[in-house]
Amino acid sequence: MQKTSTALTPGLIAIVGFLTLCPVVMLILGSFSGELGAFGAFTLEKYVAAYTDPAFAEILVSTVIFTLGSALVATGLALFLAYLNTRTNIPGKFIFGVISLIPMMVPHILFAVSWVLLLNPSNGMINLFLRQLGLEGAALNIYSLTGMILVEGLLDLPIAYLVVAPAMSAFDVALEESSRVCGASNARTLIRVTLPVLRPAILAALTLVIVRSLASFAVPSVIGMPGRIYVLATHIYSIVATGYAADYGMAAAVGMSALAASITLIVLYRRLTREGEKYVTISSRGYRPSVIDLKGARYPLFAVVVLISFVLIVLPVLVLFYTSLVPYVMTPGAKAFAAMSWRHWATVLKDPVSLLALKNSLYLGIGGATLGIVLSFFVAYVIVKVRSKASGLLESLSFLSFSFPGIVVGIGFMWFFVQTPLYSTIWALLIGYIATYLPYGLRPLTSAFVQIHGHLEESSRVCGGGPLYTMRRIVLPLLVPGIASGWILMATMFVRELSLSVVLSRPGTEVLAVQILRFAEDGLWGRLSALGILMIFISTALVVLANGIAGRLSKKD
Amino acid sequence: MEIRVKNVSKFYDSEGKRIEALVDVDLVIPSNRIFTLLGPSGCGKTTLLRCIVGLESPDTGEIAIGDEVVFSAEKGIFVPPDRRGLGMVFQTYAIWPHMNVFDNVAYPLQARSEPKGEIERKVARALRFVQLDGFEKRPATKLSGGQQQRVALARALVAEPKVILFDEPLSNLDAKLREETRKELRRFLTELKITAVYVTHDQIEALALSDAIAVMRNGRIVEMGTPREIYFDSDRQFVADFIGHANFIPGTVAAAGEKATIVDSAIGPIACARKTGAAPGQAATVCIRPEFIRVLSEGRGGGENVFRGTVESLVFVGDAFEGEIRVGETLLIFRIDSTAAVREGEEIALQFDPRHCSILMN
Repeated sequence: MQKTSTALTPGLIAIVGFLTLCPVVMLILGSFSGELGAFGAFTLEKYVAAYTDPAFAEILVSTVIFTLGSALVATGLALFLAYLNTRTNIPGKFIFGVISLIPMMVPHILFAVSWVLLLNPSNGMINLFLRQLGLEGAALNIYSLTGMILVEGLLDLPIAYLVVAPAMSAFDVALEESSRVCGASNARTLIRVTLPVLRPAILAALTLVIVRSLASFAVPSVIGMPGRIYVLATHIYSIVATGYAADYGMAAAVGMSALAASITLIVLYRRLTREGEKYVTISSRGYRPSVIDLKGARYPLFAVVVLISFVLIVLPVLVLFYTSLVPYVMTPGAKAFAAMSWRHWATVLKDPVSLLALKNSLYLGIGGATLGIVLSFFVAYVIVKVRSKASGLLESLSFLSFSFPGIVVGIGFMWFFVQTPLYSTIWALLIGYIATYLPYGLRPLTSAFVQIHGHLEESSRVCGGGPLYTMRRIVLPLLVPGIASGWILMATMFVRELSLSVVLSRPGTEVLAVQILRFAEDGLWGRLSALGILMIFISTALVVLANGIAGRLSKKD
Repeated sequence: MEIRVKNVSKFYDSEGKRIEALVDVDLVIPSNRIFTLLGPSGCGKTTLLRCIVGLESPDTGEIAIGDEVVFSAEKGIFVPPDRRGLGMVFQTYAIWPHMNVFDNVAYPLQARSEPKGEIERKVARALRFVQLDGFEKRPATKLSGGQQQRVALARALVAEPKVILFDEPLSNLDAKLREETRKELRRFLTELKITAVYVTHDQIEALALSDAIAVMRNGRIVEMGTPREIYFDSDRQFVADFIGHANFIPGTVAAAGEKATIVDSAIGPIACARKTGAAPGQAATVCIRPEFIRVLSEGRGGGENVFRGTVESLVFVGDAFEGEIRVGETLLIFRIDSTAAVREGEEIALQFDPRHCSILMN
């Protein structure tokens, strides 16, 4: 096995190196090239044009407010929830597990759309309802920076929660207890002891959410653009997708600053999480943090948590399903129920472009995730089991793309694909997807590999199992859960992929999320909702399918 | 089956430095004996075991199991572990968590595609042997440490290997279970009449379990012999020190007689067990284990090797007193019966049994 892996490592470095570095290199070259047709001709004119644009300063300010605001909302909520879950006797703790899984359930673009349907100023359902009550002045406008921040903050809540919750539960309760013994109250202890000790985790969560919201395209496009609020991602999009001539040189020049910001933030994040280890306060095995009795606040706080989960998971699906059935936007009531029909569903299912998008997304989801997981399998094997300098390089390369905003990667790949026959084929999307989402497949697989102690393989060899026999009977069965969760993550990401696709998708290679964005731009909410529900259905079906197969595979042995 | 290791060396590169894991190891492991590789961590004992089993390949030398050369650097022979027909018990047991007890034990037979009936018969026999009959359907994850250890043993034995290898198989068990399992293992292996190679850093385990011991240090074998030879007649200070506790008193050989060899030391002349090859004038170290220092009751003086000293410290450890006695400038550790009437600070007379004073040539 040693000999094959020595040949494997350089091959994988070449593949992963291409996938991660190609868009970056092409972005840099493209930003100095000017036009797609004039690749390689050096010019600074696109930088000058991009950064002297009088609107650019305003875009930067909006971007900073948007990303910081979402980070504060997401991290604040995450801290609140993590504290309740790990440190108090709140009932219904299973809900917290569900909250950390939401990103797999509701695609971001649909979540954003559902809030537009509820709160847009002209016919948002809540606003219509308020108007019926005669509270005209209370009408809320989602098309605002505040609206963007709140929706993005809710969307990024799970990721902040996943960073904060483990730190919170690993917290050494003795630190708090000694503060209590010294006479401080619960609240004072929280502010003076708990939060400062958790500072690295909190900063890490903030940084991660900033990176995510900087890369976010769904919320800025669905909520920001109608209100004429542009951030970097939508600014880049408008340079290539609106107006008369798409300017990929300028898009690349703007993209460079988004890329630089992301990389800086991720470096900061890595440093923070490494520094966090200094603060690690887990004392010993089998230790449980003491639980704070919420007493009378138990059920009210539980209600808040239920409300948050409802808003995060149930509400968007309900709003979309309802909208897909009514002829035009109206408040729920007898009139609405009488007018309900499957008309939008029928239209969507007869619409050739929507059907094509459905088919493409399904192909990309299943085929792309399968290819992606095969690549992840070998990369994870080399990272965990080979452990050489080359495998360290491979590891850094493969997790690098995690920090790149999708739309910027898209622009970089565009510069590349235009020079190849892959341009405007589904393969372009496939390559782009795998390049951007490789870490999603890698993470579960590397942790699965880590859990397979070397002795388990070695003992199979000593027992007379050859390398292939060992792979089939020991390594693969033990990896099945990791493979399944990697595949599920990749497949669901691919089915809903938006930010890369808006750049790379061409007529003939439409995908679901792009089609939904088109419906949103045209205000075709009924069709959008029907297609959106279909999208959620496909994602869920893939999850169920993969879990079922994995369950059967791991039981067999 | 005999195992012959000839001139085996193994090097690692770690951060630019070359680490010698094994240096010119020459060793013959006799057949049907329990042979132990003993040494502190990092001495190369596990590397040697892994070279024998085929999980590592040495840089030089030759390894033969019975008549088959399984590794030869010169002839370019490397038989992979799955074709060496050995059994091994790993330190972590390496019980496969996704299989039940039956499949874990049946694995070596399934790997060589034996008929189903045969597999069932042999697995049942192996499980009966380790007293785990009835556990076939138990998932591997639902076993205690001791049970996992037995499953690992059953798996190593089921295919009737020529040789069975153990890599610190008891180190993950708690003290009491370790002692029980050690006795059991000794019984199993004696019953089986099989060549066993056992790696451990625990000297008591090595002494209690082995027919022969090789003590390793820095990738080399420093001494080889039966447990009694290693314990009583070690030639080297490292070995004597590593196996149990010992006092080392430096001196020079004063006289080499028929019955005893006398060594002059800082505390006076010491009569020692006869040492062949020791000539007057040579530097030598006297090794005396704490349990062979006797305390003489008042008034009973006389005889060989009697010294006077002050009890510097005394610790009651249940079945004995352990403490230090200062004789002149020399501090000696001793161990006496817990009923002895000795107090800290007291001056006492002590005596070394000459038969248990061994000489280490420097």
